[in-house]
Amino acid sequence: MNAGNSASPVAGKKKKNRFSSDSRQAVIMLAPMLVGFALFTYVPIFYILRYCMFYYNGFKSSFTGLDNFVRVFTRDPKFWMSIVNTFILSGCKLLIEIPLALMLAVLLNKALKGTNFFRVTLFLPAIMSTAIIGLIFSLMFAAYQGVINNILMQVGLINAPINWFGEKWTAMSVIGIASVWNYFGINMIFFLMALQSVPKDLYECADIDGITPMRKFFSITLPMIGPIFQVVLLMAIVGSLKVSDLVLVLTNGQPGGSTEVVMTYVFKSFFGRDNRSVEIGYASAMSIITGIILAIVSYIYMRMTRKMNENT
Amino acid sequence: MSGKSKRFLSNTVIYILLIIVFIFAMFPVFYTLMGSFKSNQELLAGGTNIIPKDFVLENYTDAWRLGNFKQYTFNSIFMSTFIVIGSIITSTTAGYVFERGEFKYKNVIFAMVISSMFVSLGSLTLYPTLMIAKAMHINKTLWGVIIIRVFGLNVTNLFISRSYIQSISREIDEAAKIDGCSFFGIFTRIIFPLCKPLIATLGILEFRASWNDYMLPLVFTLSSPERMPLVVGVVNLKTTGEAASSWNLMLAGASLAMIPMIIIYIIFNRYFIEGLTTGAVKG
Repeated sequence: MNAGNSASPVAGKKKKNRFSSDSRQAVIMLAPMLVGFALFTYVPIFYILRYCMFYYNGFKSSFTGLDNFVRVFTRDPKFWMSIVNTFILSGCKLLIEIPLALMLAVLLNKALKGTNFFRVTLFLPAIMSTAIIGLIFSLMFAAYQGVINNILMQVGLINAPINWFGEKWTAMSVIGIASVWNYFGINMIFFLMALQSVPKDLYECADIDGITPMRKFFSITLPMIGPIFQVVLLMAIVGSLKVSDLVLVLTNGQPGGSTEVVMTYVFKSFFGRDNRSVEIGYASAMSIITGIILAIVSYIYMRMTRKMNENT
Repeated sequence: MSGKSKRFLSNTVIYILLIIVFIFAMFPVFYTLMGSFKSNQELLAGGTNIIPKDFVLENYTDAWRLGNFKQYTFNSIFMSTFIVIGSIITSTTAGYVFERGEFKYKNVIFAMVISSMFVSLGSLTLYPTLMIAKAMHINKTLWGVIIIRVFGLNVTNLFISRSYIQSISREIDEAAKIDGCSFFGIFTRIIFPLCKPLIATLGILEFRASWNDYMLPLVFTLSSPERMPLVVGVVNLKTTGEAASSWNLMLAGASLAMIPMIIIYIIFNRYFIEGLTTGAVKG
């Protein structure tokens, strides 16, 4: 190897060797993870992009062009119902979860006695397995001898047990409650972190001016935690649009497929669960459309928040 | 009304609100743990009492002996142990290489890894992932799940590791380099031993993720129930249609799946909360 035009060739050569052997080591150290990453993150996406043009049931495959997409848009109302369900579920759930988390964070930020106890216990649901939560809520809300029905009857709110999972909207409500239960703790902690970074003297100034607590919240707290709030909300939206295991375990789409969300609907097409036929090509096409819808939602959200930030 | 009594009143309202949410948060956990100690007759009789009349262990012994739960628990421990140890090694290594390493296209590769967060399709890529595992002949055992979790570069873990290693002074590696230590040697002898808090955070995050995971182990064990981890095995009781007759097993199984998590959370709750939040915000 030519050491080049270095003033002292020996030192230069040595330095170059050292450097290249270090970077070779770096590449070797990283290689297993890079291979794994490419295999398990990008290859699946290429797989879906390829098979969306095919009819494929796991054994036979034939090229069908854009047929799968035509079918999604013209002949599959159930897919679009699952999309609508996903949005309704996410919207209603976040309308409860985010204000609840924010309220708790504000209350816990007051540094009253026992705050730490509440902080630790209210976060507990967030460490649980979502699938186990689905199982527990399905037992609690069981129509026959479920603890929730029994308590409601004891108190006298209802006369006969409610068949929670027998109707679409009651079943969706249970999914929503379970999901709020699972996720409010983590959002609470995010907001609490944001609140703790708000300078205390802002509130002291407000106290001197005699501003009401409500005004303080809307004029100081919200604008100060705005940037973090926007990130947390984006993560919550994307996370709840991707809900799968909770619905799969809690209702499994029942009754009659009416509580199916998009992730479970497509998942079942891939694996042919629930008496569906295995249609990998068609499921791939649905995955792509779902991916595009998710991307559009995030894009609109980011545009909106950017506009909001410019206006203030 | 004087300021003092006004404050007392508002504090009382705050505590009432907090206690209501506390009950909401604790009820399902408490209900499950207590239910798992009820006798079968008491469970079938229903009623509104949460606390069992007599505490019995028969649900656990039944689950252990009849319900395959011994195997499930073993599978869960096996899977989580390897994922935790493996991903601590791969995450810190990747964090170190991306932070301190110098090689061609480093930034391009890093950007590609990060951007994968935006193209992630959640559970929609499970099928192709399983097919890749099948081509590698690792689809029949939990080793497939372990390999995917360990080598599939988790972006959150990478962020946490990189920013932690960034906080370690570069002078330390410079000194080691002068003493003739190689890039790899600096990692194993100097950086890795300095990463103890990072290792704790990563370990807890990975333990939570792997112990609680459902979808990935589900598709890897669809045809071989004896390989299921605890969460998949318990939920399987519900989906196989024996649900009505196996409340006791489901409650005991759900408790078995929850208790290790709760114990670790009580001991390490600070790392838990920090890990989950810093990772997510940075990611």
